[in-house]
Amino acid sequence: MPSAKFCDGLHRRDLLRIGGAGLFGLPLSLSSILRGTSHGKESANESVRKPESDVSVILLFLKGGLSTIDTFDLKPNAPAEFRGEFNSIDTNVPGIRIGEHLPLIAQQMDKFSLIRSFTHRNSDHGPADHYMITGYHPAAGFNPNLKPNNQRPAHGSIISHKLGPRGSVPPYVCLPRVHSSAGSAYLGSSAAPFVVEADPNDPNFAVPDLAPPFEVESSRLNSRKDLLSRVDKYQRGGELQANRAAGAVSTFQRKAFELMTSSATKAAFDIHQEPDKLRDEYGRNSLGQSVLMARRLVEAGVRCVMIDHTNWDTHYGNFASLKNDLLPLLDSGLSTLFRDLSDRGRLGSTMVVVTGEFGRTPRINKDAGRDHWGPGFTVLVGGGGVRGGLVVGKSDARAEKPDGPSHGPEDLAATIYHLLGMNPKEEFYTPEGRPVPIVNGGHVISELL
Amino acid sequence: MQNLRMELILALFGLWLLPATSPAVEPPPRRFNFENDIVPILNRYGCNASGCHGKAEGQNGFKLSVFGFDPATDYAALTQESRGRRIVPVVPEQSLLLSKASGKVPHGGGIRLARNSDDYRTLHEWIVAGLPFGSANDPRVVSIEVTPREQQLAMRGRQPLRVTGTFSDGRKEDVTRHARFQSNNEGLGNVDEAGVVTAGESPGEVAIMATYMGAVDVFRALIPRPEKIEPYPSLPEQNFIDPLVWAKLRKLNIAPSELATDAEFLRRVFLDVIGTLPTADEARAFLNDKRPDRKPRLVDDLLQRPEFADFWALKWADVLRVDRQALGHKRAYAYHRWIRDSLAANKPYDQFCRELLTASGPASEVPATAFFKAVNQPGQMAATLSQVLLGVRIECAQCHHHPFDRWSQTDYFGMQAYFTQVQIKQSPRGEVLLASSDAATTHPRTGERVYAFPLGDEPAKANVTGDRRQQLAAWWTSPDNPWFAKNFVNRMWASFAGRGLVEPVDDMRMTNPPSNAELLDALARHFVTTKYDVRELIRTITASRVYQLSATPNETNARDERNFSRALFKTLGAEVALDAVCQTTGVPEKFAGVPTGSRAIQLWDSQVDHAFLKLFGRPTRVTACECERSVEPSVAQVLHVLNSPEIHEKLTHEAGRVAKLSGSVSDDAALTDELYLTAFSRFPTDTERLAVTDYLKSVSNNRRRAVEDILWSLMNTPEFLFNH
Repeated sequence: MPSAKFCDGLHRRDLLRIGGAGLFGLPLSLSSILRGTSHGKESANESVRKPESDVSVILLFLKGGLSTIDTFDLKPNAPAEFRGEFNSIDTNVPGIRIGEHLPLIAQQMDKFSLIRSFTHRNSDHGPADHYMITGYHPAAGFNPNLKPNNQRPAHGSIISHKLGPRGSVPPYVCLPRVHSSAGSAYLGSSAAPFVVEADPNDPNFAVPDLAPPFEVESSRLNSRKDLLSRVDKYQRGGELQANRAAGAVSTFQRKAFELMTSSATKAAFDIHQEPDKLRDEYGRNSLGQSVLMARRLVEAGVRCVMIDHTNWDTHYGNFASLKNDLLPLLDSGLSTLFRDLSDRGRLGSTMVVVTGEFGRTPRINKDAGRDHWGPGFTVLVGGGGVRGGLVVGKSDARAEKPDGPSHGPEDLAATIYHLLGMNPKEEFYTPEGRPVPIVNGGHVISELL
Repeated sequence: MQNLRMELILALFGLWLLPATSPAVEPPPRRFNFENDIVPILNRYGCNASGCHGKAEGQNGFKLSVFGFDPATDYAALTQESRGRRIVPVVPEQSLLLSKASGKVPHGGGIRLARNSDDYRTLHEWIVAGLPFGSANDPRVVSIEVTPREQQLAMRGRQPLRVTGTFSDGRKEDVTRHARFQSNNEGLGNVDEAGVVTAGESPGEVAIMATYMGAVDVFRALIPRPEKIEPYPSLPEQNFIDPLVWAKLRKLNIAPSELATDAEFLRRVFLDVIGTLPTADEARAFLNDKRPDRKPRLVDDLLQRPEFADFWALKWADVLRVDRQALGHKRAYAYHRWIRDSLAANKPYDQFCRELLTASGPASEVPATAFFKAVNQPGQMAATLSQVLLGVRIECAQCHHHPFDRWSQTDYFGMQAYFTQVQIKQSPRGEVLLASSDAATTHPRTGERVYAFPLGDEPAKANVTGDRRQQLAAWWTSPDNPWFAKNFVNRMWASFAGRGLVEPVDDMRMTNPPSNAELLDALARHFVTTKYDVRELIRTITASRVYQLSATPNETNARDERNFSRALFKTLGAEVALDAVCQTTGVPEKFAGVPTGSRAIQLWDSQVDHAFLKLFGRPTRVTACECERSVEPSVAQVLHVLNSPEIHEKLTHEAGRVAKLSGSVSDDAALTDELYLTAFSRFPTDTERLAVTDYLKSVSNNRRRAVEDILWSLMNTPEFLFNH
């Protein structure tokens, strides 16, 4: 290691170069250097980095695990104990058929593609979630009950760390709650998600405490802020770098000010500005309104929105819950999102990923349910440069595992980063100085591009 | 490969032919023992882990005992269930055990076992050998030893480990390649599957645990800073704590920070001892005190204050489960009161624990019986009390051998047997706790009777007569108990120093060694010698120079978080933070169901609905774990202090501090001093005083608004929001 490097892997001259960088989670923000969180190896050769892409990503996470044999990869010819109760229907792309309970999505098939050869090795909630949300299978000692439980940063944290904010909105937002694996791990608090602990479907939806009290108008807020920086004696000392929690508060405070003073943020979170008719079409439920909120946030400059939607763990009565409760939400929310993005000319700059932590056992269990199944499932991707109307790969006759070449969480991660203009092969340094590649050896799924 | 094919052919011919047709030059066929040879493989590849087939309900119909604690059942699951498809003796490759694990057939757990690995071969040979279970007389592993045990490593240095197993017949064998390894801090040091340790790039100490067949051992590596400090400064020693910490720091090439200022000590000791900020007057009095013994005097004063009992009762109420929902209003209140009164009276800690452990009689007269109502299963009583009073976690051993410790199911049920007598019955005088029956405990697997015996002891042959808990209480609180005093001093140390000597504080085991074992021993000895005097322990800790160090790092200790070379920032905790806000603004909070003027640290009920307390991580008291109290900061917390209507209301309140001071103190400098003493417990520096008086001048048309702004600014600094 060159002698001019800090113990955290940064060249001293980089410190000079970041002088003018903004404070809000930029990869080379002063805060992240001072706080010793982590820094890209890329800092040394930043000049060769690709120009920033303007693609954002909406990750709709169906927690519990979507049954893809009942939705996006039906097997009408499989034995009855596999194929289930649902029939397939035509889509607006000749030759591609999907499940009958997704009729609206079927009419948007030209705007997205299906990876039917997806596979990974974990069929347990917790580790599988971590695997899908970070691209890294957790190592020994993983405790899924921690909040956050990240051994590795979530995709959103990596995007946030690498690309920084676009405008005054946060780069990475979680809705309507934060998933346990959506944290920033060694990338530290500057890459942590902004969590909206509120349901956009709530009639009084607002981000709690986002606005200053009525009496504190903007000039007063500015003088308060200025005074705060003069009375904060730790702002320039080494204490905040050496104490993680205190450093985090300091970082969060800078983020908070950015958010509070940004009219773009205020407007983005004001879902009430949307026409009632469109809100109805998205569906007046948590999934539908969260997806709509995600579209607003992406338009305002957010780079990654992760929606945590739960209850897809259909061990019992899989068919009834899918048909009556779950699929109608997905059908209206997702189909309207694709149509709306396309109407607004934003499909090309907005990547949409829909997946659970795994699929479900093709063999139906004794409770008319399906259990956890990592070995083979379908992931839906569209927009942001992904070609529409494609099926990538295929599963075997019973949808148990890929038939032929397969793709896993590492490949999905590499594809997302690639489309967002990042190099999946780059490395980060952990606070201890260990280099970690942002993707654990995956390949961009080139058929999609 | 040649070998494999040969075995396949042999297998097809039939197993009985095997010994006769083995070539004479080959070593005699291996004598397999299922538990010694096969279970470790299921362990090593995680087949029987709690996330896979070790789950209570198994995985896809195949269930193994978690971590292999029950070899007989696992043997049956493998060889008899599923119509014999898991093992096919005539064509071993078609055994699901091999074909699934190696990925030939789709497997929810993915590919676990390479087909050319030694372990694959072992499984294969075992199948070919006719699935021997082995005999009860086969030697078993009694212990393992890792060599080396300790080693100083340079940054990025490597050290291969060797694990030697000792068997019951006295034989020793290298079991390195079957052992599992795990680092307690991957940043400081990593270990690979083969047991090669690689140090990271930070100074510190890392422990690597090796496990094999329920036996555990630990390797410890010390990784010093590469730059030596020469000459190492000579450091003052204020009591026995200091030399023990200095010795460790010297080994790591780390120098401690300077001594904290009086003002820093003042604020820290108030928050640590009574969970309350000093008022401006209290701060002024101490800062003007020039007596040499002003620090111990201050600590003595604090120990006598009512907030001392409030604050520590709050901490105990978390882990001793003062839970209104489980206990009802009246009993929860009385139980909390008993804890608080015990602290106020400085009841010796051993006596407090004995009273808790043996509580019996009418609930109305013996409030501590509430514990046995809040935690109402004998096994949970044993596990909760072990975790809280000894720092020993035995819960895992209810179902299986503890994966990282020595506890077996027998140990768990031996402890459980102390509590099976406990019954809460209705009587004309209300609820009564009785513990006199001869309730029996049986081992869930063997069906044998288990008698009450304490952790670490040999299984007993009979139960003691009377209330068995008396025996347990006597042993737990005896000076010879290896955990009792250590657990308490470790929790106290963690509370004052910001980090336990053992961390997490309630997880004491050989595989989780203390960061400074000598200091832990010395503190425990001191606590026993002073007859479990809690206040004396607090005096001792706060009198050490280690406790009195500044939080400002120097260039050698900025990255040290584990060796107490500087004061660590501590989060205030929900209740303390809220009280600090209320005291600083001069506007108390009103809580439902308690007298007006009550502070948050006095709340006995952790369910009182309160947005601030929830947001700042108050626990709900459903577990025995201190970790239930969240200490992770969040953007939402920060936004709340910046913007919430609740805090704004306190700043602008007609009867609040801002209204009072802005009306009564006309001198800007004096006003500034008062605000600094209130929020930070110190005087401002000249620069700070100038910044604030300038602000007052600049908003001269509305002094009250200006003071609101100033106090708002002070309250939003890390200096206010943390204990440092």
